[in-house]
Parts: sequence; structure tokens; C-alpha cells
Amino acid sequence: MTSPSIRKHTDNAPVVVPSRLDIIQAITGVLLILFLWAHVFLVSSVIISPALMNGIADFFERTYMAQIGGPLVLLLIVYHFLIAARKMPFRASEFMTFWRNARSLRHKDTWLWVVQVVTAIVILVMASIHIYVVLSTLPITAEQSASRVQGGWLPFFLILLPMAELHLGIGFYRLGVKYGYITRASRHVWQRNEYVLTGIFILIGLLTLVRFMLLTN
Amino acid sequence: MRKLNIDVFRYNPLDPESKPHMQTFVLDETPSMTLFIALTQIRETIDPTLMFDFCCRAGICGSCGMVINGRPGLACSTQTKDLPDHIVLQPLPFFKLLGDLSVDTGTWFRQAWERIESWIHTDKTFDPNEEEERMDNELANEIFELDRCIECGCCVAACGTALMRKDFLGATSINRLARFYIDPRDHRTEEDFYEIIGDDNGVFGCMGLLACEDVCPKKIPLQDQLGIMRRMTALQSVRGIVPKFLLDRLSPRRCGCSCSEQHND
Ligand code: HEM
Ligand code: SF4
Ligand code: SF4
Ligand code: FES
Repeated sequence: MTSPSIRKHTDNAPVVVPSRLDIIQAITGVLLILFLWAHVFLVSSVIISPALMNGIADFFERTYMAQIGGPLVLLLIVYHFLIAARKMPFRASEFMTFWRNARSLRHKDTWLWVVQVVTAIVILVMASIHIYVVLSTLPITAEQSASRVQGGWLPFFLILLPMAELHLGIGFYRLGVKYGYITRASRHVWQRNEYVLTGIFILIGLLTLVRFMLLTN
Repeated sequence: MRKLNIDVFRYNPLDPESKPHMQTFVLDETPSMTLFIALTQIRETIDPTLMFDFCCRAGICGSCGMVINGRPGLACSTQTKDLPDHIVLQPLPFFKLLGDLSVDTGTWFRQAWERIESWIHTDKTFDPNEEEERMDNELANEIFELDRCIECGCCVAACGTALMRKDFLGATSINRLARFYIDPRDHRTEEDFYEIIGDDNGVFGCMGLLACEDVCPKKIPLQDQLGIMRRMTALQSVRGIVPKFLLDRLSPRRCGCSCSEQHND
């Protein structure tokens, strides 16, 4: 018995946009994760020695990677945000619905999504400011960063740091889930890995800030 | 024995006098009491107008889904001894309310099944005299694993995406399609599947919140099926752009399970 499909009533090729956007969201997400990991290691080199940080910064400026890469990262952030924002509950009714559901379910992964939405908006604003400030006061030196952190930017970083790491950690985990790399069997292991990883990066970030606070010229 | 305080959502949409409210019933807990037994006792001894759905009372028919202390679940498979003595029962959100705890899941599932064309698509002509085609036992089990869904609607009612976006197909539909995806009798191609779920009402609407996975009373492998179908669908949209060897490496195999240990239910 043939079962004609009720869907195939046009010969239009299927629309690929939603799918490709989903892929782009994933790829930009992964790129930002890689960037931020690299970033943490570059900046935290100050813990070992300010001279090392200066050397690294000098390399990135001399090769113009900072001058060109910086704005590209900002672009990547904005692009990633715009694509991901398709899923954000911007309408009050949507947000209320989601909030009510999350409260009623008491379900961790549902709450994590709320965290991801909130951190995304914070990062968008704060990372833009941060990138602008750093790139408009080149060269990057440990001394300048230290005077910035000591000169009132500390609270700014104390907010941006956990926000960025949380967003990154949750995003990484959810990406694995969505694309079937984190399965039912491995979910618990990955969730733990994610906590550990996020914790380590926040710790390194805090140590970096402490180092900047203690750095004297 | 404990005294149970059971708060039940009451509203009859057909009665113009009726206003949505919570009503508290007090019951003596009995050994191995389920919410089915508790609600039946309320209806028989306290309030005969209480509306709720039951049929099999054994977790098979899927009609007794409701929100139990905030989470969707089956009332017939939930024992009161696993709950605190204050129990709050509400109808499943998302579905049309028929009255009190009773919702209409059937209409939604019917339209969802029509949207995903939940039947075997084949050009073979059926010959009633021919011997039945044989299927490998392992594959039959894999298909059955996904076919166990009882259409209770708990996964949809728990899904933040579905609640915000009413056209979202939900995990149960994606799982349902995954069942046809691994069924060799269904001749639909990956392109056909793409056309059905390759948008934000389908598999790309899912945000990976895994509430579906965590509330499903039948432990259907929703997380794994959502992952497999999303990856398959996504790769389908970049065929021709991404080199073939990479596509093949990234592809989930055309098989419902991503992990063989899970077939012990
Ligand atoms: C290309 C762009 C970027 C450059 C060149 C850059 C550079 C720097 C530098 C030089 C510092 C030291 C403090 C200072 O001088 O103000 C710093 C700190 C920091 N940056 Fe960036 N950054 C960039 C992008 C980002 C982004 C996108 C994020 C977050 C999403 C971020 C998060 C942080 C945080 C949290 C700190 C505090 C230091 C720590 O605890 O590790 N940065 N960055
Ligand atoms: S997948 Fe699970 S929760 Fe969803 S309808 Fe089927 S049995 Fe119910
Ligand atoms: S994983 Fe997807 S389908 Fe399941 S609850 Fe989350 S958004 Fe809904
Ligand atoms: S009454 Fe059939 S599943 Fe609960």
C-alpha cells in the first residue's frame, strides 16, 4: 500500500536556514570557548611573571593579532548573541511562562538555561566595554592592567569573570547534549567535568586578579 | 498512618459559575496507596464531581499524567509514600483543560503525529498471503525501545520550549520520528526527515533543557534521540558544503541507540 506524503506537495527544496543557523550558533560558541580559554592562559601568565605577560602581549600586538583579532572577537560575540537570541524569551509572556515552569519543576537543567540567558546579556554589554577599553589603550602591559584593576575596575571583573565562565561552562555542556555527544549514559560525568572546569577557570581568573591587585610598578 | 493533605486544582470550564481554585482534601494514607487510589477515594467518599483521567492504572495507557508537586508524572505510578504529606496536584499545562485534573492530550498527539506523518512510508504493495518479513531481533528491540512511549504528554508539559512556543513538536514527536528513522521498512530519506523536523518547531527548537528526559515516566531515551536526530538533520543541511568524509565521521549511525547498555528496561 503506498502512503502518499501529505507534506510533499511542492517541489521546493527544503529550507536550510534554521538548521544552518543552529550550526553557526554552535560553531561561534565553540570558537568563543576556545578564545576564552586561550585568553585566560595569556592573561594569567602574569601570575608567573609580569614580564611573561608583557612578552605575550607584545607578540600579539606585533603580529597585529590583538588589533585585528580583538574586533573580530567582538563581532563573533555579537553574531553569536544575535543567532542565539532567536530562542530567548523576550516577550513578557514567554519569560513568565518559562520562569513559572522553572520554579515549578525545580529542575536543574531548566534553571541553567535561565542562567545562560542572563549571563549572555551581561557578557554582551561588559565584554564590549572591556574589549573597547583594552584595545583603545594599547599596548597591553601588566603594569597598565594592574593600575586599571587597582584603579576601580576590580568589581567589573569580579562580575564579568564568573558570568563568562558560567556561560561558557553551561554552553559547552548543552552543546554536547544537543548534538548527542553527551548521552544519557555520560551526562553525569560531563556535568561533573563541567563544574570542575568552570571552577578551575574562575579560580585562575581570581588568582590573576589578586596578582594584578598586588602588582606594584 | 499519615494524614495526607491533598490540594487539587478545581475548575470546570463548562460551568460559568466555576472559578479556578485549589481545594484541599484530607485523607488517611493506606499501605501502597497510589495517587490513583487517593483520587478515587476522594471521588467516592468526598466529592463525586472531581474530574481526572485513568484507565489502565498501571503506567500503560498514559491517561493519568498530571503535575505532582510541581513536576509532571503519572498519578497511577506515583505512590503517596514517596511524597510529603502535603501533595499538590495540578493538570498538565500545555494541553487543553477539560476540567479539574483532566486534560485532552489526544487532540494534540493526533495533530503532532499527522505533522510528522507517523506511519511507515513504503511503496511496497501489501500481499496478505505472503509470509511475514523477518526482522533482526536486536533491531526489533531497538525500535520497540522507542515505541514504548505511552503518549502521556509529561515530556511536553515539562518542556520550557513547548510551553513558550506552542507549535514546538516536543521530545515525544522527535522520538517518534527517530523510531521510523531506524525502521528499515520506512523508505523516507534523511532529506524527507529534514523536511519534517528541520526547523525551529522541530528539532532545532529544542534547547537541550532535558526536562523531558528527566520526567518521562517510561524512561524513553529522549536525550539520546534528540541528539541523534539533531545531528542527522543538521548534517543534512550542509551536504555538499562539508566534505563527505567529515559528514560520515560526524553522522550518528542509523540506529536508535547510542549506547547499548540502555536496553534493559
Ligand atoms: C579580543 C578581546 C580581548 C582582549 C584583547 C582582552 C584582554 C584582556 C586583558 C589585557 C585583561 C587584563 C585586565 C585589563 O587590562 O583590563 C583582561 C582581563 C579579563 N578579560 Fe579580557 N580580553 C578580551 C576579550 C574578553 C572577553 C570576550 C571576555 C568575556 C567574555 C573577557 C573577560 C575577561 C575577564 C573576566 C578578565 C579578568 C581577568 C581574569 O580574571 O582572568 N575578555 N582581558
Ligand atoms: S516520551 Fe515519555 S513523557 Fe513523553 S509522552 Fe512518551 S511516555 Fe510520556
Ligand atoms: S530537551 Fe528539548 S524537548 Fe526536552 S525539555 Fe528540553 S527543550 Fe524540551
Ligand atoms: S492510568 Fe494508565 S498510565 Fe496511569
